[in-house]
Amino acid sequence: MPSVSGRAADSVTVTIAHDPALVRTVRLVAASVARRTGLDEEFVEEVRLAAGEACALFLGEGAARNGTPHDLPVAVTITLGDFLSIDVSSPGLVNVEDHPDSDLEGMEAWALLRGMIEDFSVSQDASSTTVSMRWPLS
Amino acid sequence: MDLSLETRHEDGNTIIEVGGEIDVYTAPRLRDKITELVGEGHYNLVIDMEKVDFLDSTGLGVLVGGLKKVRAHDGSMRLICNQERLLKIFRITGLAKVFTIHGSQAEALAES
Repeated sequence: MPSVSGRAADSVTVTIAHDPALVRTVRLVAASVARRTGLDEEFVEEVRLAAGEACALFLGEGAARNGTPHDLPVAVTITLGDFLSIDVSSPGLVNVEDHPDSDLEGMEAWALLRGMIEDFSVSQDASSTTVSMRWPLS
Repeated sequence: MDLSLETRHEDGNTIIEVGGEIDVYTAPRLRDKITELVGEGHYNLVIDMEKVDFLDSTGLGVLVGGLKKVRAHDGSMRLICNQERLLKIFRITGLAKVFTIHGSQAEALAES
């Protein structure tokens, strides 16, 4: 089981097929893990929204993949230790910036996550894209 | 909870009462409803989000798209939302300045 600096961490990984209907399942799992922190419902709601939002970036109509298939699964790992962290990854490269011609009817798809999560990063290698978010619990 | 959409016409306004979750899966249904109404010539829309449990950026995109559609016909789109967790999303994305957001249907309709 993975650990996060100092104490054993609980980790849950959910992999969903490329189906927007399944994002709700990810939100439910994320909210359930967030509630285990004992923090207030505002925090739980933020984690729930962030988990779903990150998935939507891979699965939504506005998701722009650079030359990779559009039906790839998305894996979400939620880890609860000294931090609550969520890593959302999918094979292939996904545009990680909002471009005028790739937005969703005028809404910048990445704007909400970037505005909401302080500890937020996107990493890419030759085979996958990962969105990582982290919330301190102390 | 799935998305529910109820529409009625009142004093020149078309009110869409939205309930449930507006997300990457359900938002296209709201977009289709707005497109349908605008296509029928209803350009003054009031979107009542009082019963909305969840809203993500896809839903916000649909609302922005709807606003553009009605403005193209010199129409209007007013939102009804009094839930702090949803209002926070509008503030974070800067859309609180783009939309006219009211606390109740009575308030929104009084302004028409």
